[in-house]
Amino acid sequence: MSTSQLAIAILLLPAAGAIVLAGRGWRMPRIVTQIVGPGVVWAAFACTLALFLGNASGDFTYWTWIKSGSLNVPFNLLVDHLSIFMCLVITGVGGLIITYSVGYMAHEDGPSYARFFTYMDVFVFSMLLLVLAGNFVFLVVGWAMVGLSSYLLIGFWYQRRSAVLAARKAFVMNVIGDVGMILGTFVLFVTYHAITYTSVFRAVGGAISCTRLVCPPVGDTSTLEFAAFLLLVGAVTKSAQLPLHTWLPDAMEGPTPVSALIHAATMVTAGVYLVARMHPIYDIATYAHDAVAIIGAVTALFAATIAIVQTDIKRVLAYSTMSQIGYMFLAVGIGAYSAGLFHLLSHAFFKALLFMAAGNVIHAMHDEQDMRKYGGLWRQLRPTSIMFLVGCLSLVGVIPFVGFFSKEQILGLAFSRPGTLGLVVWGVGALTALLTGFYTGRMWWLSFAGKPSPQRPVEHPHEAPMVMLVPVAILAVLAVIGGFIQTRALGVGPSAVSDFLASSVGRVSWDDTTAAVVVGLVTMVVAAALFVAAMRMRPWSARFPWAQRLLEHKYYFDEMYAAAFVRPMDAIAGFGDRDIERPLINGAVMETGIATSAGAAGLSLTQSGYFRNYVLVFVGGAVVAVIVILIRANS
Amino acid sequence: MSTLNIGGSQLDASWFLLLGAVLFTIGAAGVLVRKNPLVILICIELMLNAVNLTLITFARQLQNLEGQLFALMAMTVAAAEAVVGLAILVDIFHTRDVEDVDDLSELKG
Repeated sequence: MSTSQLAIAILLLPAAGAIVLAGRGWRMPRIVTQIVGPGVVWAAFACTLALFLGNASGDFTYWTWIKSGSLNVPFNLLVDHLSIFMCLVITGVGGLIITYSVGYMAHEDGPSYARFFTYMDVFVFSMLLLVLAGNFVFLVVGWAMVGLSSYLLIGFWYQRRSAVLAARKAFVMNVIGDVGMILGTFVLFVTYHAITYTSVFRAVGGAISCTRLVCPPVGDTSTLEFAAFLLLVGAVTKSAQLPLHTWLPDAMEGPTPVSALIHAATMVTAGVYLVARMHPIYDIATYAHDAVAIIGAVTALFAATIAIVQTDIKRVLAYSTMSQIGYMFLAVGIGAYSAGLFHLLSHAFFKALLFMAAGNVIHAMHDEQDMRKYGGLWRQLRPTSIMFLVGCLSLVGVIPFVGFFSKEQILGLAFSRPGTLGLVVWGVGALTALLTGFYTGRMWWLSFAGKPSPQRPVEHPHEAPMVMLVPVAILAVLAVIGGFIQTRALGVGPSAVSDFLASSVGRVSWDDTTAAVVVGLVTMVVAAALFVAAMRMRPWSARFPWAQRLLEHKYYFDEMYAAAFVRPMDAIAGFGDRDIERPLINGAVMETGIATSAGAAGLSLTQSGYFRNYVLVFVGGAVVAVIVILIRANS
Repeated sequence: MSTLNIGGSQLDASWFLLLGAVLFTIGAAGVLVRKNPLVILICIELMLNAVNLTLITFARQLQNLEGQLFALMAMTVAAAEAVVGLAILVDIFHTRDVEDVDDLSELKG
């Protein structure tokens, strides 16, 4: 197959799978769902692999979607190293997670089972459309569709009120981001009259050649700044960064594979992809670019502090996801695009691993998610425990796990970046790395070490079936060896990911000094020490009850939004309902009806049925008419 | 010209108009106050003929044939009306014995 056929096949395979499952899935035997659901994603993975091995690239236009005057919207797919990289992550990790779901969702009844895999395939299709789209229109389409699939999957257990509320919250928040995205696209279109990436970026100006960490200033950039900030609103929302992050922790109401795939590995990293894809714009729009780095750094620290006090294992992972995406934002914000994308890859490995291992635990614990009620799982769930530990160490960034190399690269590049911004975000990032060590350690020791909690729901838990263990094991292996494809952050070894992405997002200038490496190693050692120390550390928060309360309420963000937006809106809606809708609008409609009815009742009395009444009216009318005519004739 | 030459004698036109008005009023009063359907039909005929008389009077007075033609038209319509009215009455009498039009008030609103 040619490159263009392969590219469209990547998209069409999950779409076809979704259509088949949606149409007939629940009537066919379960085995069909089990094969089609993950199968199409693996087939898409094979196509992506063919593109990857063939070193393919190109911008393929398949048809024209809209043609109206000067507006010409083609359906084109941009195949370059960045989109191939993203497709590999989505289909590869996605395939593993959907295979895992075959076991995890086994308790669902037939229709729900098929529905789950339909939604998952829809999600994979939307996400692939998002990363493969070659123009802004289809970027927005994919962007909105991943929001929709996220909504459907968070609310998968629609009988649970909390799940429905979480799904609604996620959808509303995401729409805020979509609006920002669309407005940003409008600004770019109005300015450059172009809709495809290639033409917009060409119009933005020779910025594609600007690939170093710092770009020379160019003329008036206010329009670009504006567009970049609007696009950033979309990226921040989708990636759950401050201040539009509140939907992600609630999204953990969805099934665990959903949390692994959508709310850890792929969809929430779309913001990072967006900034990397739009790097010609961000390279010029320096204020917006710095804002990306600052938002990322602040979110990383912010989320890590909240993770310290969470007791729900999935919520700890959710806040740690926010924190790690903060690192990615930090990286792309300082222009280290390939470092951010490498962290995206490694995060996809170890966070999907953590979520699925946590899923095994939750499965064994009969849906109990409170870590305080676990304890001592190490003896009973040995394989899961080992894999969870691999994920934890990778998250903490312990050498030689993949997380170390990606995080070290980001921190090293921030540390060696000229200017104060680099140092500031490095400081925040390093502090976050220490906190990460602590909260990850707390999660690990609380769940797996020590004695079984007396409140544990299951005395003798069973290890998960093979279909759930094997995908986790594959990710565990990737988390162990994945880092060795790019060890350049330490000053030696290969830099495969950055080299591969260089053609799309520019080269990294590997000028980080020995100091950066040493600082990185020290950070790692302290974080690891904190990981171990978390075993015995007394609950420090008992001494600072106000801090404990602040963190447990997640800095009161939900309360603030409730006070600032939700309650005023409720009040306005209530006022409109009580004082406008009911008395005025409803009243007007009802009164019209009542008046008409009463009038008809009154008038119907004139229909007496007596002949002489009619004649009398008739004659009386004639007399009146004659009188009127006579008066007019005489005057 | 307000006098008409009728058979050689001069008569003021207003007498004919007055006669028409009186006949019309009698007919209208009859329609209003009488209850027997046949009498009501006769009263309607009376009103129509009163109008005819007025038309012809004016035709003579104004030396204009349109009035006479209109009177002929009115007679034709009156004949048709009598046929329809009598047919309805016969049909009603077939089903029940009606002496009073007030008994026919089923269309009361």
